[in-house]
Amino acid sequence: MVGLFVRLKLRLIAGSLKGTGQQRAGFLFSLIAGLLVALAGFYLMAGLRTLDPSTAADVGVVFFSFILIMWIVGPLLMFGLDDTLDPARLALFPLTTGQLTRGLLASSAVGVWPVASLFAMTGVIFGLARSVTGALIGIVAVPVAFACCLVVSRLVTTALSGALRTRRGRDLMAVAVILVVVGSQLPGMLLNQGLGDGLEIITRTAGVLRWSPTGLAAHAIADGGLVGVAEVVAVALFTAVCAWLWIVALKAALTRADSSSQGGGSVRRSRFGGLLPEGVLGAVVAKELKYARRDPRGRVTWISALAVVIVMIFSTRNNTGGEPIVWMGVFPVWLGGLVVSLQATNSFGIDGRALWINAVVYAKPEALRADLAGRHLTITLLGAPLICLAAVATGLLTEPVWILPAALIGVGVMGLVFAVGSFTSVYFPYTQPERINAFTGAAPGQGGQAFLSSIGSLVGGAVLSLPVLIPVMAGHLWVSALMPVLGFGLAWPARAKASVIGLRRMPELMADVSRPT
Amino acid sequence: MEGMTEAVRTRGLVKAFGQQVAVAGVDLVVPAGSFAGLVGPNGAGKTTTLSMITGLLRPDGGLVEIHGADAWAEPVKVKSSIGVLPEGLRLFERLSGRELLLYNAELRGISREEGAKRAAELLRVMDLVESQDKLVVDYSTGMRKKIGLAAALLHNPAVLFLDEPFEGVDPVSANTLTEVLRRYTASGSTVIFSSHVMDLVERLCDWVSVMSRGHIVAQGPIGEVRRGRSLNEAFLDLVGAGGSGEEGLSWLGSSSG
Repeated sequence: MVGLFVRLKLRLIAGSLKGTGQQRAGFLFSLIAGLLVALAGFYLMAGLRTLDPSTAADVGVVFFSFILIMWIVGPLLMFGLDDTLDPARLALFPLTTGQLTRGLLASSAVGVWPVASLFAMTGVIFGLARSVTGALIGIVAVPVAFACCLVVSRLVTTALSGALRTRRGRDLMAVAVILVVVGSQLPGMLLNQGLGDGLEIITRTAGVLRWSPTGLAAHAIADGGLVGVAEVVAVALFTAVCAWLWIVALKAALTRADSSSQGGGSVRRSRFGGLLPEGVLGAVVAKELKYARRDPRGRVTWISALAVVIVMIFSTRNNTGGEPIVWMGVFPVWLGGLVVSLQATNSFGIDGRALWINAVVYAKPEALRADLAGRHLTITLLGAPLICLAAVATGLLTEPVWILPAALIGVGVMGLVFAVGSFTSVYFPYTQPERINAFTGAAPGQGGQAFLSSIGSLVGGAVLSLPVLIPVMAGHLWVSALMPVLGFGLAWPARAKASVIGLRRMPELMADVSRPT
Repeated sequence: MEGMTEAVRTRGLVKAFGQQVAVAGVDLVVPAGSFAGLVGPNGAGKTTTLSMITGLLRPDGGLVEIHGADAWAEPVKVKSSIGVLPEGLRLFERLSGRELLLYNAELRGISREEGAKRAAELLRVMDLVESQDKLVVDYSTGMRKKIGLAAALLHNPAVLFLDEPFEGVDPVSANTLTEVLRRYTASGSTVIFSSHVMDLVERLCDWVSVMSRGHIVAQGPIGEVRRGRSLNEAFLDLVGAGGSGEEGLSWLGSSSG
């Protein structure tokens, strides 16, 4: 049975080689990345030999804990993509829980990333062990820690499999992805803020992670004595308990009624809908506001825009070594405006396969123009306050005089991106997959279109803002008042022209935003 | 056909996807006020034809007329007079059923008050009152077809195009759908729907068009197309159904294990 599962996993991997060019490129990418991680990890860990023992032990502990975290998070993000992760897929086969346990465990050890992480972990034996007993403990500790990773990761996916198959669970996961991405930027930001040097952070982090299951294993190798042996035994016991819990969770997952078809709750009726103007504009704004809140893609877009703005503000503060110049007060807000409005470069992408509902109604360009205006108004309603807050924060960290010019420039540049985005939305529309992928925001084969439209709008908006930006940089702060005039003044005719083109291209536009993903 | 007003007429409608010709010169005729069925095996070109008629897919050639107006040249006249329920149940998933109807009403220029009134009535008739505030993404297939039909009916179109409206729908919901459609055609409006289910077409329709491999192979009042046979038999004759499948599969049903 173990052999069967391993062959199934190998077939699934081989299957991705037979797929489209995109899939093959994806596999090649993960193969090369896995190889790099394996070699670099091994080399760096083995290289710890040159450091003093306590520092080496700290780095090893952090590394082992990081691997465990990756093992927990990675499969959750892969859920639905790896067919061996969801026990419900196998529920109908006549297998005992024991067979299934061994089979699933074996299949999760097969693949590019498991092999890469095992190889990298082996490096710790060379880097951390400073005695023969340490090396001997390492030979046992590394496989035990690897088994711990496998079992804990399986336990987490199995326990959550029921929730992950419901719509709400998947929505939450999509937002969790972006939090992980943003969270991974935190250490770098903290380092930039000068909260102690890198070594001190590692020592402090290791002090906590030393008690994580895999952290114990790393520490055991460095210790090399009786304490080390006890630690390895503790990790093994922990792994055994997790394995037992996993079997319990697996039994439950196989026999529990499928909850994926159970509906979610009701939504609250809008209280502010009446404030919006009647007609296409109001209808589109109401819908877009709901999507920003309810659709995971909408939430992810806004959370990441917020994250970019915050990172920008912090990085300005970091640079205030000498006398602050206008650029420091304006640049973060200007860039924030560009990033926030970037979602207008593929306005119809979020509608996807539902765009026909609008298409069967719009008979005149004016209707499509109101539609575009509604989408731009929504981004402005949500983005402008965010940009103003960013201007205030940046101004307080640099020179308060710059708050108003920065806000005007940040909000005005949004209009410029709307202008360019009106055209990219109708000329280079692309499908936004409903399942969010960390690597691309477009359907297979449309990466080029996505890249062209977002980079094009970013550069276009930036270049168009130069006539205002340059005088402001030169000290003529009042010129910033012209930015909203320029931005929204250009967005107006751009929508008019783009709506004529868009209406003519509507069938092609619909096909482009509703590609299978 | 003389003197009869036509709700829909296409002339030489053609569409190819790369090498594959999906629709090869379709001349579809549907008289006004009829309950028309468009039948054909999988891949006959039904969905492609309906998409081109409703303006969702650009034809490679040919003409589409809805009540005499060219659908592709005069969209202003045509779009307000048709209702569409395409295949695949593609809806705004993150709106509730009620919000979807109100959105449609507002897009169509119906006043908020009137839109809310019509939405409430449609939700009641479609038996969706209990789930009107649930998100469409959580709806079952039958509920989605019903809310889709409600959205297509909201502006009281003269012609209604439905692609496989009964596929995957439970008998109770199917009954609701047919009742609503019957009432709608009784007032002189036209329904054109595609289907695989011959019994249903035979029971509901007074007009039928049979498609096979991108062509219309027969169309007319249902009695003329049937010519005394059941519609199913007539259909199998028209599309040239293959062997009975008795060769092979000798092992099937012969053991208990």
